[in-house]
Amino acid sequence: MISPDPGSFRDPAGRVYIRDDRVLRAVYEMGRENFEAADKAGVLDALIAKDLLIGATKTRSKLVKELDPEPCHVLSHPLIPFISYPYEWTFSQLKAAALLHLELHLEALKLGFTLCDATAYNVQFQGTTPVFIDHLSIVPYEEGEIWAGHRQFCMQFLNPLILWAKRGVVPNSWYRGSVEGIPPEDLAAVLKWRDKLSFTVLAHVVTQAKAHSHALKTETKERVVSARKLPKRSLVAMLEGLKDYIRGLQLPGGRSVWSEYADDNSYNADKRAEKHEFVAAMASKVKPKMMFDIGCNSGDFTATALEAGAKSVVAFDFDYGALEQAYSRFSQSKQSVMPLWLDAANPSPAQGWANAERSSLNDRGNVDAMVALAVIHHIAIGRNVPLDMTVDWLIGLAPQGVIEFPNKDDVMVRKLLANRKDIFPDYTEEAFLHHVGERAKIVKQKKLGEDGRLIVRYRRN
Amino acid sequence: MGISGRHIGAFAVLAGLGTAPAFAYLDPATGSMIIQAVIGAIAGGLLYMKLFMHKVKALFSRKNSDSASDSAEN
Repeated sequence: MISPDPGSFRDPAGRVYIRDDRVLRAVYEMGRENFEAADKAGVLDALIAKDLLIGATKTRSKLVKELDPEPCHVLSHPLIPFISYPYEWTFSQLKAAALLHLELHLEALKLGFTLCDATAYNVQFQGTTPVFIDHLSIVPYEEGEIWAGHRQFCMQFLNPLILWAKRGVVPNSWYRGSVEGIPPEDLAAVLKWRDKLSFTVLAHVVTQAKAHSHALKTETKERVVSARKLPKRSLVAMLEGLKDYIRGLQLPGGRSVWSEYADDNSYNADKRAEKHEFVAAMASKVKPKMMFDIGCNSGDFTATALEAGAKSVVAFDFDYGALEQAYSRFSQSKQSVMPLWLDAANPSPAQGWANAERSSLNDRGNVDAMVALAVIHHIAIGRNVPLDMTVDWLIGLAPQGVIEFPNKDDVMVRKLLANRKDIFPDYTEEAFLHHVGERAKIVKQKKLGEDGRLIVRYRRN
Repeated sequence: MGISGRHIGAFAVLAGLGTAPAFAYLDPATGSMIIQAVIGAIAGGLLYMKLFMHKVKALFSRKNSDSASDSAEN
């Protein structure tokens, strides 16, 4: 029996199943009426045509017979190349996802439909473009009904963006820890008074926080839940207001902060050219459908790999500034690159319900190749991870790839060791080659310039 | 700026002009429900004002461009 995706259980209207290169969505009795209404009204097709919602076709899959209970409908969707989570996104990605969510909601309302939730996990990225993935969230709108996903929208989109833009605090560690986002009560406590001088913050954060705490107190005495009426024009105004506000949010300091970013300036042009050649040779040979770029910086080598034949790249970095640059660059070029934040010494874990609702980084990738340039010393020396373990992790990411090894004479490595005792006698080129050789075949190796860094291409046995 | 329980109560009375069934698998959370009608009404007012200002601006800019093209013709 095929088992459902462990992240798709919250809404009993349906479940998602992954089979080969397709995503199948089973619609159950609980979701039948809403789905059939949306299907009949053409709202799903309309949203798909506007590129707001991922494509779907009704299918009579053999899967129907394998499921118990038997679903009333099955939808087939294209597979998203790499599933990402909001706690791995940059500011611009979270902002783009929030705006997509609001746009989709407004478009659905025009056609007499609404969204029954507002979880950020229903937005995924195809390259730099966000897309909504849950067709069963789109349900018939009833005049006067409240926005059920309001608090969820605030916790998963609005509040992390406000914390980032107004306080300059990256919300991702908090978001990763809580998974459900940042509650208005907590955000209100850390905002300064001047951050609250806007209708959006006052209404959606401060007032909601007060109302929530108040409701928690009174609910023990009497439960006051009678559904309030919210006219459609008010709902539309609220969504439009949020759209305007979020569109105007910027990182503190604005984009100019990143414009001075020097891209690995310790390297001269010749060495860089050799490195580009080395990466291009691997990419044109392997033609990876999915490639990881670990430590992508602003994406120079990702761009080289794409030119040489890589189809799609997930570009990781520890530095949000570099990721913003990469996001902006590949948004403009419209190439299939998804920048994501990664702390290599603490990658995203499996978490949520039963430690399975959100997958770990290692469980998500169907990766054909990887490049790890100017990154190994940050893990092995910067984070004290023994070299063999570092090589093991890197090579474990993909069956083929390129790893660059700066030795202790390298200026960047010297910088890392400048203020500390050198406790890394095993950090040598010989040891590195030995560790790679134990785990994979070294297809090619080269010194970049006379005294430069060692770069190797490996293929796992 | 503090908002007392009494104010929240007033919001709740204002918001409770009518009731509509809201059946969602997601618990909308009472606090959010209580304030939505009020936020929605104010947001409606703000949106109306914004559209109004756009119209006023459009009116003026049209006049300006009219006079600009007039002077160009002269």
